[in-house]
Amino acid sequence: MADTASRPRLLLLLPSTTYRATAFVEAAHRLDLELTVATDHASVFAGQEPLVTFDFAHPERAAEQARAFAAEHPVRAVVGVDDDTAVVAAVIAAALGLPHNPVEAALAARDKHRQRVLHERHGVPVPEFRLHALEEDPAAVARAAPWPCILKPTCLSASRGVIRADSPREFVAAHAVLARILAEPEVAALGAPARHYLVESFVPGPEVALEGVLAGGALRVLALFDKPDPLDGPYFEETIYVTPSRLAEAAQRAIADCAERAAQALGLVTGPIHAELRFTDRPWLIELAARPIGGRCSRVLRFGPDAMSLEELLLRQAAGLSVPSCEREAQPVGVMMIPTPRAGVLRSVRGVEEARAVPGIDGIELTAHPGQRLVPLPRGSQYPGFIFARADSAAAVEAALRRAHSCLSFDIEPE
Amino acid sequence: MDPEIRIQAEPIDAERCRFVLSEPLLEGGARRFASAEEAKGSPLAVALFGIPGISEVVVTGGTVTVTKTSPSPWQATGKQVGAAIRAVLAAGQPPFAPAAAVSTEEDERLYGRVADLFEAEINPAVARHGGAVELIDVQDAMVLLRMAGGCQGCGMADVTLRQGIEVLLKKKVPEIRGLIDVTDHSAGANPYVTASKK
Repeated sequence: MADTASRPRLLLLLPSTTYRATAFVEAAHRLDLELTVATDHASVFAGQEPLVTFDFAHPERAAEQARAFAAEHPVRAVVGVDDDTAVVAAVIAAALGLPHNPVEAALAARDKHRQRVLHERHGVPVPEFRLHALEEDPAAVARAAPWPCILKPTCLSASRGVIRADSPREFVAAHAVLARILAEPEVAALGAPARHYLVESFVPGPEVALEGVLAGGALRVLALFDKPDPLDGPYFEETIYVTPSRLAEAAQRAIADCAERAAQALGLVTGPIHAELRFTDRPWLIELAARPIGGRCSRVLRFGPDAMSLEELLLRQAAGLSVPSCEREAQPVGVMMIPTPRAGVLRSVRGVEEARAVPGIDGIELTAHPGQRLVPLPRGSQYPGFIFARADSAAAVEAALRRAHSCLSFDIEPE
Repeated sequence: MDPEIRIQAEPIDAERCRFVLSEPLLEGGARRFASAEEAKGSPLAVALFGIPGISEVVVTGGTVTVTKTSPSPWQATGKQVGAAIRAVLAAGQPPFAPAAAVSTEEDERLYGRVADLFEAEINPAVARHGGAVELIDVQDAMVLLRMAGGCQGCGMADVTLRQGIEVLLKKKVPEIRGLIDVTDHSAGANPYVTASKK
């Protein structure tokens, strides 16, 4: 092990509810980085030096805390792992004089309205959109809406609160559901963003997710995932991701170009991006976040001859270490974010062994535990688990994921 | 040993995979093998180290946790591991050399110091979140442990492990080289933190 004094210290911002703690902590461990983990809720070992508690809800306060910490423990880089900590990381990096995305860019990526405005201004194709206050009369808003339309919160993740409406009646009903979600205490605490929502035109067509990394504002595509399940609403539950994409080469190039222009329009220059786009005769930017892929999905991504993880790649970039390769392995891979079947208390999951035995299945992680309350979309933001597959073709990956999922049976007790 | 023994592979990450057998291999404690040299005399470990890229084997009860350095996916390596385990068990011989042959006085001494630390500091700390950590063994200065209660399946378990317990251990017992967590986190019924967002 290298001498502590000579190892670069990385400040990793981990929200206590993230799916990604293990992947990032293990990657830092493998790289032998001097790692300090900052969380938003005190760990049982908080105060012991490599664990600190920062106020993620107030980035300026977090920056003050980071400044005090860095005065005694110099920091080489700061890394956020999700939408919120990407902003906190940018504010901290600015306070410490470390390379990172500009704060304004990170804020724009976090705010779905602000990013729509910037994308439209820079000629990035986006759905027609308009921002509304929650207290506006929904029937009046519906009269001016494009049909079909999407109601979308400006501040939530994982398609939470995103609802399609095809008529004024559906719009009013969707508005009522959205209002209840935005009134939930942890959402309402966000302030103004929780009192507004977007009304957008619905863009039909296949959806893809682009995973990439920026360096000097230039995009390197790490993976382009097809989402073979149609996402036509009324809710937009993410399920299957498969890479490489089966779209034509020209379409893939157009998507990558669109994502790069979208990132540049926000002012992002470095680190991960996760973009969601639709493709009709051209790409449409649906959303872009300054963070890596969510959930446990990154497990399917491996890079270079040593099968480097996405997290290791990102930590290497952040810490200024060499990145041996950004080339994903050639084998088709995929992941299914297991949909929450219905609301209730999870009692058990049956068929896991059979699902694991399906040819092509590379693993199943159940992240929900017996006794856990499951909340489906549009209110929920958790997955019961993840299924991972790898096979000789993208079609075989998709088939394996579907077959494994069909083996699973969830015993959920109504509340 | 039942020749129809079932083995379930549960990859933890690209490097580690847990193989859960339908019958126990050990009645108590744990065995760890960090090289082919250490595996000598233990047929199961010898067979597993015969698979290219295997770097560590840890056995607790009916669970064999295998670590590899090769980039090949667990889909391929897992089949080799499963076949090796079946072959050794079908041969009917004891899978491991007697435990006494691998324990050392130094590990015994370290075990006592680590156990004291678990009792005095680590368990009182994790108990604040409803957790508990069981010290299973110290082998070759590596601490084998199992998390329970609020720690088992907790979204921040790895942070507690690497940034809390491991740092404390290395500070108070510098001879310790590292930790091996043999917890089945997927079986955690009451984790302190449940992951919930992107």
